[in-house]
Amino acid sequence: MIVKIAFKNIWRNSLRSCTVIMAISLGIFGGLAVISTATGLSKMRQNNAINSYISHIQIHDSNFLAYGRLTDTIVKQKEIVRFLQKNPIVSGFSSRIKIETFIQSAGGTSAVILNGIEPINEKKVTDINTKLEEGNYLSDYKRKPPIILSTILATKLNAKINTSVQCSFVNPDGEATTIVFKVVDIFASNNSMYDKMNAFVLIDNLKNTAHKGVHEMAINLKDESYVEEFRTTLISQFPTLEIDSWRGTAPELGYADKMMHLVLIIFLIIIMLALAFGIINTMLMAVLERKKELGMLLSIGMNKNKILLMIVLESTFLALISGPIGLSISYLVVTFYEDTGIDLSFASSGLKSVGIESTIYPFLDSNYYFIISVLVILTAILSSIYPAFKALKLNPSETLRTAN
Amino acid sequence: MIYIQNISKTYQSGIIQVKALQNINLTIKKGEFTAIVGPSGSGKTTLLNLIGGLDSPSHGIIKIDQTDITSLPENDLIDFRLHHIGFVFQSYNLIPVLTAKENVEFLMLLQKKEEDQRNERTIQLLKAVGLENQIHKKPNEMSGGQQQRVAVARALASKPDFILADEPTANLDSSSAENLLDIMFKLNQKEKMTFIFSTHDSRVIAKAQRIITIDDGQIINDYYR
Repeated sequence: MIVKIAFKNIWRNSLRSCTVIMAISLGIFGGLAVISTATGLSKMRQNNAINSYISHIQIHDSNFLAYGRLTDTIVKQKEIVRFLQKNPIVSGFSSRIKIETFIQSAGGTSAVILNGIEPINEKKVTDINTKLEEGNYLSDYKRKPPIILSTILATKLNAKINTSVQCSFVNPDGEATTIVFKVVDIFASNNSMYDKMNAFVLIDNLKNTAHKGVHEMAINLKDESYVEEFRTTLISQFPTLEIDSWRGTAPELGYADKMMHLVLIIFLIIIMLALAFGIINTMLMAVLERKKELGMLLSIGMNKNKILLMIVLESTFLALISGPIGLSISYLVVTFYEDTGIDLSFASSGLKSVGIESTIYPFLDSNYYFIISVLVILTAILSSIYPAFKALKLNPSETLRTAN
Repeated sequence: MIYIQNISKTYQSGIIQVKALQNINLTIKKGEFTAIVGPSGSGKTTLLNLIGGLDSPSHGIIKIDQTDITSLPENDLIDFRLHHIGFVFQSYNLIPVLTAKENVEFLMLLQKKEEDQRNERTIQLLKAVGLENQIHKKPNEMSGGQQQRVAVARALASKPDFILADEPTANLDSSSAENLLDIMFKLNQKEKMTFIFSTHDSRVIAKAQRIITIDDGQIINDYYR
């Protein structure tokens, strides 16, 4: 009967209850919409970085990362290659030579990292080949060695396809070296910072500069979830090398991920606080409006525990009605935009500078639906305790006398 | 039996102390149909609230049978009210979201009575107050007189030792008031149910066996007819 009374009580002022239900539902939807968009953004940034230039795991000589010397090449490269070729969870790997150079053209100069790559293998770990203007992934060239520049760098150098550029650097023997390349294609990844600093050439054109060794090996796995486990295996096999997962290679992505989780938690707390104040306000109004009735219930013998239960049940019902509404709206909207994406092309240049495309695909882990459901119910129960205690403090004779 | 020994009640109203009741001594026997009368502010409702354990006296003792209700802890007092005292209020005070039947049944549910027992007694009581055809109506679908009759049925549902009725006819029209009084009088005669009214309705006074007059917080007259 108390459950029945509590349920019916919330419909005594149906306009107010509906308003609260709508507010809670929209609050849940708003929260989940922001969480899903932020998660989608973060995942997109992470995936773009992994697919465009980081890959899942990178191997370096431990001194190369610290000092950037060209002589610090990866030892036992052939052993690593054999190990990777045998391993079924490896979907691809590629070796790179990396040289910090000064690039010049007739139209300008810039500092750039020259990435010597193996195009066939590189396709298995990064997707730069899909972001080319002409589709010439260092395959079609004549006399001069080919180079691929980014759109940003090409603009800065005033270079186009077939323009010659000159890269100058100091070779491992301490001699100033210059190589002239011909631009064979232009790329544009989703990260303008990366594009500004990187150019691609054939690894064979740089081999003499690194004593035939390589500076970097990039590995992609069939499933991202194996990364940490496989990294541990690699470390145990090749303990003298520096082996990092994408989290270690690009710690800013990991920090951004952690920061985003922190922000989402703060956001959830704000939503729950707003929900709590909404419920406290509604239940306080309900208690104050029903002082006489509550006084009567205490008079005729309904004990305080039952009064408390009744009020807690009322707010729990409010949450139980609005929770599923908010969750359903969120599910439908997130599912719809998960496929179609949210078009933010009006801010595409700003987004690109931080490695994000202009269409964002929201993503919501199913755990969030569960977490939100539990939090909404808990918040509703906790929020009803203050109004319930207010009700319990009522003096029955006083409330009846005032009412009468 | 209700024993009231040397009861006083003082309220603090701002900086003024109001002596609502002073040195009240009273015994009410089982089966009495008693009216406490007096002008507004004389202390009738305060006395009724003290007897019903809704308020505590500043001095004195109230015993209902062997239980000193003035010394009962709050939760025990609520439980005592549930099992021993029935209340009828001036403005009916039914639970608006429940039907007549559910309102009557409510106290028995709090008493954890079996469903069969509850149903049987609810129907019996609603018949006794002439509302057997209104059992599924909610308070807002009934007249004031009908609501007050449901309130009487509810007060009787828990099989209390006595019923306290605070101005039960004050909001009723003449015929409803007569009808309600007849019902309560019959219950008193048939089942020896003790009724204590606080009233200044002459119709109630006319039916009462005992009339206690209070003025300025003191009993100034107490007689049986």
